[in-house]
Amino acid sequence: MTENMPDGVAREKVEDELPQGMERRLVLRLLTHWRAICGDRDYPSFSEVVPENMPDMWHNCFVLEVIGHEEDPVFRAAGGEIMSHSADSLIGTPVSFWTPDTLIGVAVSHTRDVLRKGVPMSHGDEFMKIDGTRVLYRSILLPMSDDGETISGLLGAVNCREVMED
Amino acid sequence: MRAFEIHTFRGGKWKIDSVFDDKELALFEARRMDESSRYSGVRVIEENFNESSNETVTRTLYKGGRAEKQASVIQREVKDEAKKTARRKGAKGRTGKGKRPVKKKKKSGIAMPLIILSIIVIVGLGALFGLQHITIFR
Repeated sequence: MTENMPDGVAREKVEDELPQGMERRLVLRLLTHWRAICGDRDYPSFSEVVPENMPDMWHNCFVLEVIGHEEDPVFRAAGGEIMSHSADSLIGTPVSFWTPDTLIGVAVSHTRDVLRKGVPMSHGDEFMKIDGTRVLYRSILLPMSDDGETISGLLGAVNCREVMED
Repeated sequence: MRAFEIHTFRGGKWKIDSVFDDKELALFEARRMDESSRYSGVRVIEENFNESSNETVTRTLYKGGRAEKQASVIQREVKDEAKKTARRKGAKGRTGKGKRPVKKKKKSGIAMPLIILSIIVIVGLGALFGLQHITIFR
């Protein structure tokens, strides 16, 4: 899995998987993509997550490895937008490293719930950054499996909007 | 704590598809899934967890299911057709095998009144004759 947008891949408009005028929210697009690669199975595998096939979404995506890190999954890959939100190196860090006053921290705050339920979960809220900026966000975590049964990792995505206070 | 679960009907049972914390988003997604016709049933369940009582209250917010609706429409059509057929059979039955025998009305002619009249005349004459005899014997 690559860490950023692969070479030669440009950001494109939302693909035509949804009819024109339909909802364009990131979490729903990624959920639709997840269902498409999932088919009739419970979980798709990481080998089916190809950044080139999701150029409009990959910037906001990240991958968490669960196998061997069941109690505290670690970041294995992330898109450019996610990387830009982390001053420290994201890859290899556990989810517990990220505090709830960071976009990455709130994006992974429901990791345990997703592992327990075994289904995609989306949540949104707001948080205050260390500099006092209010940030609205919406995220999603999707279970993945390499053997089709055990959750071996999570595919996640988050996007946000800073709210300018008067 | 509130959660909105989208359930899909697959393989003969309801399964949790995804969970949202936003009601509108869950309902929107459920309707979108329903319109895709991929699932025979889609529903949204609201889960309210009361931490003080440790109880979860659930209620169904949305129940879609195009295929289910189509099935119910087909079922209704089949029922209607069955009713129509039954009605047709019923109508046919009265003229068919099991029909009630219809008595043929006898033709009303002049014979019956003449016979009755004749009887009255004969009885009358007989009575007169009898009275005459009774008078003679006295």
